[in-house]
Amino acid sequence: MTATATVESGPEFALEARDIWKAFERTQALSGAALALRPGEIHALVGANGAGKSTLSRIVSGHLSADRGEIQLFGAPAGFTSARDAIRAGVTMVMQETSLAPDLSVLENIYLPEFSAPGRLRWKDLASRAAALLDQFGQRGRLPLRAVLRDLSASQRQMVEILKALATNAKVIIFDEPTASFSPNEVDRLFDVMRLLVQQGKALVFVSHRLEEIFEITDRITVFREGRVVANATSTTEMRPADLVRLMVGREIADIYAHGAAGRGARSSGAPVLEVDHLASPPRVRDVSFKVAEGEILGLAGLVGAGRSECVEALFGLRRIESGDIRLAGASYRPRAPTDAVRAGVGFIPEDRRRQGLVQDFTVRENLLLAHLGRRRGLGLGDDEQRVRITQLLEDLSLSPRILDDSILTLSGGMQQKVVLARWILMSPKLLILDEPTRGVDIGTRSTVYAMIRRLAQQGMGVLLVSSDFEEVIGVSDRIVVMSDGADVTSIPSGLIDVEKLAMFAAPRSSAEATHFVLEDLVRRFGGVAYWIFVEGERLYCFDAVTASDAPNIGFSRGSFPEITCTKIPEVLRQRPRRFLSEPAGASLLTPLRGHRGHDLGHIGLTLPPDGALPYPSVVERIIRAGPATAAMTSAGGA
Amino acid sequence: MTTKTEAASRRSPATIRRLFRAAQLELRMLALLALLSLALSLISPYFFTLSNILNLMDQSVITGIVAIGQTFVILTAGIDLSVGSLTGATGIVFGLALAELPLPIAIIVAVLTGGLAGFVNGFIITKGRVAAFIVTLGMMSIGRSMAYVLSGANSITQLPESLGNLASSTILGLPTNFVMLVILYAMAWYYLTFAKGGRTIYAIGSNVEAARTAGLRVDFYSILVYVISGALSAVAAVFLAARILSIDPIAATGLELDTIAAVVIGGASLFGGRGTVLGTFMGVFIMVLIRNGLNLLNVNPYWQGTAIGSIIVAAVLLERFLSARAGIRRLEPEDA
Repeated sequence: MTATATVESGPEFALEARDIWKAFERTQALSGAALALRPGEIHALVGANGAGKSTLSRIVSGHLSADRGEIQLFGAPAGFTSARDAIRAGVTMVMQETSLAPDLSVLENIYLPEFSAPGRLRWKDLASRAAALLDQFGQRGRLPLRAVLRDLSASQRQMVEILKALATNAKVIIFDEPTASFSPNEVDRLFDVMRLLVQQGKALVFVSHRLEEIFEITDRITVFREGRVVANATSTTEMRPADLVRLMVGREIADIYAHGAAGRGARSSGAPVLEVDHLASPPRVRDVSFKVAEGEILGLAGLVGAGRSECVEALFGLRRIESGDIRLAGASYRPRAPTDAVRAGVGFIPEDRRRQGLVQDFTVRENLLLAHLGRRRGLGLGDDEQRVRITQLLEDLSLSPRILDDSILTLSGGMQQKVVLARWILMSPKLLILDEPTRGVDIGTRSTVYAMIRRLAQQGMGVLLVSSDFEEVIGVSDRIVVMSDGADVTSIPSGLIDVEKLAMFAAPRSSAEATHFVLEDLVRRFGGVAYWIFVEGERLYCFDAVTASDAPNIGFSRGSFPEITCTKIPEVLRQRPRRFLSEPAGASLLTPLRGHRGHDLGHIGLTLPPDGALPYPSVVERIIRAGPATAAMTSAGGA
Repeated sequence: MTTKTEAASRRSPATIRRLFRAAQLELRMLALLALLSLALSLISPYFFTLSNILNLMDQSVITGIVAIGQTFVILTAGIDLSVGSLTGATGIVFGLALAELPLPIAIIVAVLTGGLAGFVNGFIITKGRVAAFIVTLGMMSIGRSMAYVLSGANSITQLPESLGNLASSTILGLPTNFVMLVILYAMAWYYLTFAKGGRTIYAIGSNVEAARTAGLRVDFYSILVYVISGALSAVAAVFLAARILSIDPIAATGLELDTIAAVVIGGASLFGGRGTVLGTFMGVFIMVLIRNGLNLLNVNPYWQGTAIGSIIVAAVLLERFLSARAGIRRLEPEDA
């Protein structure tokens, strides 16, 4: 309690910004914005794209200077003229678009701010501090300190960005959409660290578009709209999600995923557009098979590193395909370069739109016609024929035709994403691949994007959606293919799955390995079949299973999700007693599995042949407890 | 996934592997150097004689020194076209100073002049936000012109004996100037690999915004690399004067291209952030070897430019091809 006492005896606000004004050329980004941040709180900064939350974050962290306004740090006036001043004063920001040096190592990037301090570098010292930092964040072994940054995945890079901020020992840390590239487990870990920081009396600002995260982690909320504060430091408990959305966009938004009762799953019976059979593209994609039907939205879900992006990149000719059979609309398809893919009728919206999606120096019109250039043979641009459609399209996207000749850089992130989307719609492809289409996009724009995706599917286009946002995948897709460690685990209608079970299907071998080991151990000792399942109502989800040669047929296997009555052991699944229960197929025992924070992680089951000897349930339970299962499950099923 | 004990028992080979991976570019360069030497020794019996090897070392000194500065500049995604004419101009300044001042003072005067010219380059590029190509192109013209103006377009001869010692004396059997070159490279390597300033230079070239937001002294180091480049041009001028005991205003013409070629052959990216002085060192040697080989083979001097140009482009092309293939492996996480 001493920590609280010292906090309370200090000034009321860790950081207070009052009446901040800022204009960029023609646009007024902030008109009298404010932010009051208490020590030991997590404060959400919410607003649609372009509302000014990033601008304010950049001003209080010294990256920008305000036109006018007042900023106080722990009661003393503070006007930082550079990021370095702010870092020295204890204010640091975790950037949205990662601002790291790709040619330096992870270690160097984490401690980059220290390179400007006087004195010599002590590499051993840095390395041991970094190791301690990784431990604290539970990242040991996940982040190779000596690796060069450019070789890391997007989420690993974001993690480096966060560690970099933690390493400066700041009192005020601004997290600008830190979770955009994170899977649910990684979000959980980040939240653990944020809670730890708050206990140390630090003040955290959390900028996010994901409402469920805001309601989970933050204490108070400040909402921005068009550069003004519309809700100032309101307690999170006093706000409902619907209120928040209304405050952000200024109107009601009903169902952001835009699927009516009619839309969902209804069109998945069309002819297949894309058939992927045992696709391999090392190192990340090992063995993936799935089908996308005409008019179907197929979600490709999985954790970061599962190979989702790499898989669709291979399908677009960006990565070498080593083996596998792919058919596009029935014809054999093997793209060597994106040009092949575009000519065959495949559209692709990449994850990193700034780097892969847009030509920064071009106007909106030129960016719209970019893919068109690739498909067209001959010298001319041929954009006359496209003019009519462009006008129509902009109307559909609720974009003004006046922006056509503006530089793409003047548009907000959400509008840029609309332009990229519009580009591919112009091409009317057979298959449209979307990799993280709403990353860093606000909720208002997101619903427009979802509605467009749905409309495209209704017109008969096959849509392949990759997203690390499990809720989005479930909300938008008709069917979901879960990938883990470069292979498909299951293919399931989105109506039959929720975020928790998706996370368990997606658990990578590395973290589910311990559970798998326990299953193997059980089978080695007792024979039969051991499995990890989750039972919900009348349905069973099987995440993993290990079978011995004499195994009884239980009626389900890894990746399947049958109704209980369709399995061979319905009674035990329904009753789940703490003892072996005999049925015609065999005698089964289910032992509940819990994560380190008490999450229900389903059951470990063991089914033995009907006539054999049965072990004591307590023995089985002890083996499950003794195995590293519980420890490992904390990372596998933390959502 | 390996268990802890397995990882521990494999640690030392893993470290060696990592070192190899980190230095794979340099190792490939070394292989290329060895291959070139082998080919040349097979073709010409004169190649592997002591006098030719000493000659090779001697010839690598001037380009080698200036290429260090060029590496610094290119690492920040800049370019310095003025090094050749600055070597010429500071050589003249050095010669004029020698007439009045003792040798060490004259050297200092020359180096300060080079550093000052580099500072002007860096200051205008960084603070005035003018492209490095343009600024240093201007300085290239000014430098050569000043060399003519200050020398009256005449060579400066009758230099002191003590200066000649720099080129003719030996340390442990190696030419003094070559030993100095190696020392300079060792210092530059240490600085770029381990010092804050060196890593800041890489950070600037890799992502200048990241460097700025981390609060690094971006402007200071962006200027510093040009100061280093200018100062090293003057150092090269001193060694050049020592070698031929005469200073000519047209000296070191075209040196900027040789140094840029050496840096690029050495694996650096003109977009900054990638490259090492070790690579540059070998790049310099490859250039010198090729020139030497062409001379030993009595290739018509008019044709030598074509040969060198083709070989430079081919070497870089080969390197890109090899590193693209190595890149597939690089995507695997090391500790996962």
